[in-house]
Amino acid sequence: MLVNQEKIIEALIETVQMVAFSLLFSALIGLPLGILLVVTRKGHLLENTVVFNIINSIINIFRSVPFIILMVAIIPITRMIVGTSIGTAAAVVPLVFYAGPYIARLIENSLLEVDPGVIEAAEAMGATPGQIILKFLIPEALSSLVLGFTIATIGLVGASAMAGAVGGGGLGDLAITYGYQRFDTTVMLITVAILVVMVQGLQSFGNILSKKIRRR
Amino acid sequence: MIEFQNLKKVYESGGQQVAALDGIDLKINKGEIFGVIGFSGAGKSSLIRCVNWLEKPTSGKVIVSGHDLTALSVREIREVKRNIGMVFQHFNLLNSKTVFANVAMPLTLAKVPKDEIKKRVHELLEFVGLADKANSYPDQLSGGQKQRIGIARALATQPSILLCDEATSALDPQTTSSILQLLKKINKEYNITILIITHEMSVIREICDRVAVIEAGKIIEEGTVFNVFSSPKTPTAKNFVSTVMNDQIPDSIKQVIKKQQGLQKVFRINFVGNSAGQPLLSQVAKKFNIDFNVLFGNITELQGTPFGNLIVEFQGPDSEIRRAIQYISQEKVSIKEVTTRAS
Repeated sequence: MLVNQEKIIEALIETVQMVAFSLLFSALIGLPLGILLVVTRKGHLLENTVVFNIINSIINIFRSVPFIILMVAIIPITRMIVGTSIGTAAAVVPLVFYAGPYIARLIENSLLEVDPGVIEAAEAMGATPGQIILKFLIPEALSSLVLGFTIATIGLVGASAMAGAVGGGGLGDLAITYGYQRFDTTVMLITVAILVVMVQGLQSFGNILSKKIRRR
Repeated sequence: MIEFQNLKKVYESGGQQVAALDGIDLKINKGEIFGVIGFSGAGKSSLIRCVNWLEKPTSGKVIVSGHDLTALSVREIREVKRNIGMVFQHFNLLNSKTVFANVAMPLTLAKVPKDEIKKRVHELLEFVGLADKANSYPDQLSGGQKQRIGIARALATQPSILLCDEATSALDPQTTSSILQLLKKINKEYNITILIITHEMSVIREICDRVAVIEAGKIIEEGTVFNVFSSPKTPTAKNFVSTVMNDQIPDSIKQVIKKQQGLQKVFRINFVGNSAGQPLLSQVAKKFNIDFNVLFGNITELQGTPFGNLIVEFQGPDSEIRRAIQYISQEKVSIKEVTTRAS
């Protein structure tokens, strides 16, 4: 094996950092966008076709660019924000551009599942749009939202490995530079095993949390 | 309390304009239980939803407790809504929250202090008979229990109007009856004006004071429950009445009438109120030279007034029968000859 244990742990930490930070920022972007996608659509709380169409098309544009191309295409933006286009911090920018719109869609899906009758009841009580979102929509969709975030997180683990391949560090980087380019099968297997365990763990955690919220 | 003035609601669907409400004029008085009945698609749902602005009318006025909603700002309408409780067909409870939190919701929204909320919610749960369910979740309750929670929630802010949108349509007959009794109790104890829309005439018969029949976006008949039930005018109203008042002559009896030809004549006699208690038929038999044979009959109670319906066959000479009819046709008793075809 061409790398030692320390190097693997270091790569793991980089991956976790990339996923954690990009999840945080993409949630901050995706959550409001997802909510807007729901409440501005026709017949909903704050119907606004213009806002809806703009957000909808922007999300579609970002979602239609493959991540590997998106990563390269937004290098100037990455440089502007982080100052460099190489390294773990720089990888977070394209990851956010990738996962933000994705999360917005997942949130949109979850919120659309909420029984319209519940929203009607809220309106009948004289709730403001803000109250309806915070006290009705989100709590009712919470269990489904957790599952959505689980999917997004797992997507980010995969994407972060790709980001690693272009200098972002992390497990993906390790697997490509040592496992693939230097034919070190052991490193390849170890990184794959770590990723599998990670994804399994995340999914189980998400499932349990979602179930707990649903049943309480 | 609630007044609709030339209310219209037009929907656009596929380039076509559909009038859900086509000029509704209706006045619901304070403290009464008013029912609006109609088939699905008649516009009753649109009508009730205009009262708390879940639906905005295309034109016309909605006046609630003296406020003309069409002239109010969104914020002012929200204030008016706090004075209107609504009960839904499918309960519309938050499944993610406990019964307590569901009932507390309108108070939380109104930023009522926590200890006050606690007191009020327990009071309400006590009132609807579910004090022990405070910590349960809606999916652990039966339909009837869910509706009781829905009612408790609707009453939380002590509204003066309660809207019931097909509140019992998803419930079995027994549960329906208990929910209706609860609504009656609310009306009596808190003097809350209740507007009910339904497609079930039994709901109207059981608790309403007045009723309006709606069809194709228009009120086609309106009056006290007693009047509409005892003498419906439009075919739709007759149709609804016949679903709960068994006043049709059974086929077997029609056959009997058809077979006998000759001197006898068949009449429908409707008794109303006190006249139902008079020994009318035996008086007739004594006074006139005729025999009679009761073919079919029933007595229903409407709003605490008995309402009787008899199909009677008279046998005897024409002149005697004519005199008997004259005698019977006094106040509150109506008599009409029945032909077998148009019973």
